[in-house]
Amino acid sequence: MPENNDKDELPSATVVKDGKVPGDVPRTPPPPAKRAYKRRWSNYLLDKKLQLRYVLLVTILSALISGSLGYLVYQQEHRASDDIAASLAEQVKSDPATYGDLQKEAVADMKARDEALVLKMIGTGLGLAVILVLYLVVMTHKVAGPLYKVSNHFDQMAAGKLPKIWGLRKGDMLQDFFASFKEMYDANRARMTDDVAAMEKLVAACKAAGVAKSGDLSEELEALEAHVAARKQALS
Amino acid sequence: MSNERTYKRSWKNLLINKRYQLRFTLFMVGVSALLMAALGWWVMQTANEATNVAIGQVRGEPCPKVPDISEPTDAGGDTKPTTPMKLPPDDPPPAPPSDTDDQDLGHHRNVTVTLSSITEVLPPDYAALAAGHWTCVIDHSGKIEELQQGKMRIFYVLLATGTLLAIALAFYGIKTTHKVAGPLYKITLYFNKMRDGRFDKVWPLRKGDQLVAFYDHFRHAHEGVVGMEKADVERLRALIDAAEAAGVAGSSPEVDAALADLKTILARKEKSLA
Repeated sequence: MPENNDKDELPSATVVKDGKVPGDVPRTPPPPAKRAYKRRWSNYLLDKKLQLRYVLLVTILSALISGSLGYLVYQQEHRASDDIAASLAEQVKSDPATYGDLQKEAVADMKARDEALVLKMIGTGLGLAVILVLYLVVMTHKVAGPLYKVSNHFDQMAAGKLPKIWGLRKGDMLQDFFASFKEMYDANRARMTDDVAAMEKLVAACKAAGVAKSGDLSEELEALEAHVAARKQALS
Repeated sequence: MSNERTYKRSWKNLLINKRYQLRFTLFMVGVSALLMAALGWWVMQTANEATNVAIGQVRGEPCPKVPDISEPTDAGGDTKPTTPMKLPPDDPPPAPPSDTDDQDLGHHRNVTVTLSSITEVLPPDYAALAAGHWTCVIDHSGKIEELQQGKMRIFYVLLATGTLLAIALAFYGIKTTHKVAGPLYKITLYFNKMRDGRFDKVWPLRKGDQLVAFYDHFRHAHEGVVGMEKADVERLRALIDAAEAAGVAGSSPEVDAALADLKTILARKEKSLA
């Protein structure tokens, strides 16, 4: 077909972008695409018992420290206010006309300051608690996440499946534990794969030699073939 | 014979997973130390302020005054202001004393001083006033000292509480995280066995350990792999028995090699389940 040949010889103009022409094939095949996981706020509490236990422990502890020291601060501040008020009251006794209004004003001002201090402390404490809780949830998630992932793999193993598994996300904790798990998992998977290959080899050899045309051996070979297929499914 | 092996926690091996345990423990200790330091500083600031106010108030309280001894007081009402002594106009000013003056008795002046003129300037309750004044001064000093000691007491209490809290939290943190690290360590030991193809019995966790649900998942996984191995054993044994019964040995070198491989695999699997 001459038309097609002409078309092949004279390709249509293409725009070169970043030194590449659309349709360029990279020299080396791209690495196998990793499955990208993204952390989401909705599933940050994976293991509520484990995570909330630590979060509550640290938060309650911080609240206790802040509460008791905050009370001390308030007490000291209040004591100073009381001292000043007492001093002014003495002055008022000696000269009510001059110091009467001043005393009322000063006492009201000190009371307002003390109340503002309490509100400031409560606000700061609550803000701190919220920040602390959020940070702790994220922190514990870095432990609960790998455990959750390994739990899922355990469930697959319990169901007789050994598919390929992926590494942890960056920033996750328990990397050593996961490495140990992966080593075990991969070793078992490799052994199963080798076993399946050996079983397949026997089935093929028997078929080639024509030794299993009937009888128990034939049934066993068929059963082995089904077993191999099931194993391959489990390993895929 | 009991199926449950008993483990005892010992202080020596509390730090199993240093990275995990220290991170969580140090975070807890760090937050507490930070809060203690920041709020402690605030407490000390206000304590200082309150102490200064209290000291100011103490200093502001007047103590009864003690009459000055050098100045006459009006208390007696019978003292007269001192007036400079004047010489008569025709009297020459006194010459400086000399050896010859002693012999000139005609120019001597006599001054009479009575003790009653001195004692009269002190008020009659001088002793009581002085005692009251100095008692008040000492009392004030004591109060100020006490206030400053109170401030320092707050500081020492805060310091001691903070230090004790940090130490207690460090121990508590390591012990608590050990309850997570312990099961993980135990599972890691099983992982090592499973990696080497040994599927021993999985023993339960110790009392008080965490991650119980996670450990159950692991037990099921272990059972799953053991189940796969058992299924393989059953299948291979049946096949090898059938092959031996059919007398396939020697039918072809490939069959013999494959059969030998399967026998090895069977032996390995049986051993791993033993």
